[in-house]
Amino acid sequence: MSQVAAHLHWHGARGLEQAEFFAEGMHCANCARSIRAGVGALPGVRQVDVNLTTARVSVSWDPDRARLGTVLDAVEDLGFHAVPLNGTAGSEARHAARRGMQKRIGLAGLAAMQMSMYTVGLYAGAWSGIDPWIEQLLRVTAMLIAVPVLLYSGAPFLAGAWHDLRRRSLGMDVPVAAALLLAFIASVLDTWRNSGQVYFDSVAMFVFFLLVGRYVEMNVRRSSLNAGEALVRSLPATVTRLRDDGRSERVPLQQLNAGDRLVVPLGAVIPVDSTLERGSTLVDESLVTGEALPVTRAAGARLPGGAINMGAACTVRASADARHSTLASMAALIERAQAERPPQAQAADRAAAHFVFWIVLLAAATAVFWYWFDPARAFPATLAVLVVTCPCALSLATPAALAAATTRLARRGVLVTRADALERLAAIDTVVLDKTGTLTNARMQLADVRCVGALPRSAALALAASLEQRSAHPLAAAFIGATTDRVAITDLREHAGHGIEGIVDGATWRIGKSDWVAQLRARTDPAAARPAAPAALTNADPDADDCIWLGSAAGHAAAFSVADTLRPDARAAVARLRSLGLEVRIASGDRRATIARVAAELGIAAAEGRMDPQAKLGLIRRLQAQGRHVLMVGDGINDGPVLAAAHASCAMGGGAALAHAAADLLLMNESLVGLAGAVQTARGATGLVRANLRWALGYNLCAVPLAAAGLVSPWLAALGMSASSLYVVERARRFARTDA
Amino acid sequence: MSIALLLIPLGLLLLAVAVWAFFWAVNNGQFDDLDHVAEHALEDESPAAALPKSPP
Repeated sequence: MSQVAAHLHWHGARGLEQAEFFAEGMHCANCARSIRAGVGALPGVRQVDVNLTTARVSVSWDPDRARLGTVLDAVEDLGFHAVPLNGTAGSEARHAARRGMQKRIGLAGLAAMQMSMYTVGLYAGAWSGIDPWIEQLLRVTAMLIAVPVLLYSGAPFLAGAWHDLRRRSLGMDVPVAAALLLAFIASVLDTWRNSGQVYFDSVAMFVFFLLVGRYVEMNVRRSSLNAGEALVRSLPATVTRLRDDGRSERVPLQQLNAGDRLVVPLGAVIPVDSTLERGSTLVDESLVTGEALPVTRAAGARLPGGAINMGAACTVRASADARHSTLASMAALIERAQAERPPQAQAADRAAAHFVFWIVLLAAATAVFWYWFDPARAFPATLAVLVVTCPCALSLATPAALAAATTRLARRGVLVTRADALERLAAIDTVVLDKTGTLTNARMQLADVRCVGALPRSAALALAASLEQRSAHPLAAAFIGATTDRVAITDLREHAGHGIEGIVDGATWRIGKSDWVAQLRARTDPAAARPAAPAALTNADPDADDCIWLGSAAGHAAAFSVADTLRPDARAAVARLRSLGLEVRIASGDRRATIARVAAELGIAAAEGRMDPQAKLGLIRRLQAQGRHVLMVGDGINDGPVLAAAHASCAMGGGAALAHAAADLLLMNESLVGLAGAVQTARGATGLVRANLRWALGYNLCAVPLAAAGLVSPWLAALGMSASSLYVVERARRFARTDA
Repeated sequence: MSIALLLIPLGLLLLAVAVWAFFWAVNNGQFDDLDHVAEHALEDESPAAALPKSPP
């Protein structure tokens, strides 16, 4: 236990201690509820979050009143096994669980095959006569094989039912174990009495089918942990830190601080946000941004935590500690999305829990009815009722479909941060787009150049580019990208808030704000104390977002208009949104003329500019009053309240924006086309949920009466029950894999 | 029919052998990764780190 404890326990906020682990043995909503109630009832425990889909449990408690040991003991007592999330102990435990399951399935399958031979002999004997001693020999042999199947392969069901009964609840294992024990004991008694029918083959087949169902479910659960979470789990428990004296040491990930230098070997995950110290390396960022191809990063480049180093071992400097990295924020958002159970799933869970109760009641009623009517059929009919019903299919229908959709979106760089986001997203009919940072990217581009006097346009550009060449200001990129010509320049100096100054051929040039550029002339020509910019230049494009001036002692020489550029995929994205039947609008705080130009370029009729957040909120309220379901797309930072008011919201992810994003969806790769895909996936997922629920309900409604009527033999019931939950899970898995 | 006295224990023995062989295979990690091992042959250079660790 101490080995487990070391991996899953840390000190949380507000003096509380916190632990997080997998609960092996959790199959149904009922199990989740019993952990929540059982652990929550311990003195000192503040909060228990249980995630059924991933079997994750997170507990926080007051260290003065409770201990980790008490919490883990309580979990074990409830019949579950606590397994750490990562680290070698965790993966070994998961490994062992998987192998154990495979062995149970193997034994049950081989035994069922072998046993069917003896059973065929018994059936044939009943038909055409058989020596009584051979009949008895076959029965005893079948019993011999059934014992290990029941006690080894069937152990999870028996143990699960035992724990269910001990905490006085009806889980899914109760009817299963009742059916197994009933069939086995009745068969043993019949063997003892040397007469009647034996059901040893049904026991083996039932165990086999059920185990296969559970095994597939277990695998799906593990693979449907979406990309982000799989990533968090792939984080190393320890990292190699370089000390100042040049030696390296291994420290736990949690002890890493901002500013530490780390060595990241080939193929390892970069554990926290960091910058590359020197050289260059190939980095696979697909888990963070969805970008499929590895990218080359040079020294000084920012590497997001969670990227995988595909190049040689490199040295990086951590820019945040493990708790405050991109990865931690992603994990927290995913965690939040999974901790919340969408209302639809909650309803299905409650239904499934009631369902088990009614099944046990119905089985009793069936037994009584057939006992009066035809005692010979009472036993197989009761067994069939217990076996054929499948509450699993009901309670798996919603989480399986939603997890599949989340996985599919994560692969394309769309992070779902709220559990019910997909349901809401599927219902939207109007999309309101912000402009800056959403339709356009932050990259600035030269929109217009106007010159005065003898200075030709190309020379003005070359001068500007040369002055800006070392600047990190976002505006500088516009000039650097505009021309490759450079002039020799000395004494390059950046004046914060004003612009850049440099000397070309002995003359001082400035680029920046109009007043500041004008000061140059004022120095040599005091007569023109504060010369205004020439009229030809002041009449610059009123749509321009920003105006930058170039000048020397001779006065203003050129004016540059700069605007942010439309994302290359904006047009395609708007077209795809339209093709889904959505109305697209623009609401932006930018100048009306700029918005009109962007709207015309994208072919959007409903575009409004000069809107502050209050006005945007008003627009959304107005649209909602018309009965519309609005999806608001913004940059996620300053339109928080607007995003919150909309029916569903989406923000551009990445970097610091992630931590305080109020949005339901984050576009991690900053590609708008993903948005249309997300809407489509959400619609597909809600369709799948409905279809799954219909199927599970339909199956049970058909199967139960047939079983109660004695028309289904016990082994067929076992097959039907396993097949029905496999069908639900398999459809979700197919949905996760298809690309729309 | 006394041949049954021989055949049935023989069947049980074969079952035991089959179960033993299957357990041996599982314990040796034969079923640990059914998806990706097949692709190893296609990889350019298989660095030691990329290969699954040899079974304990």
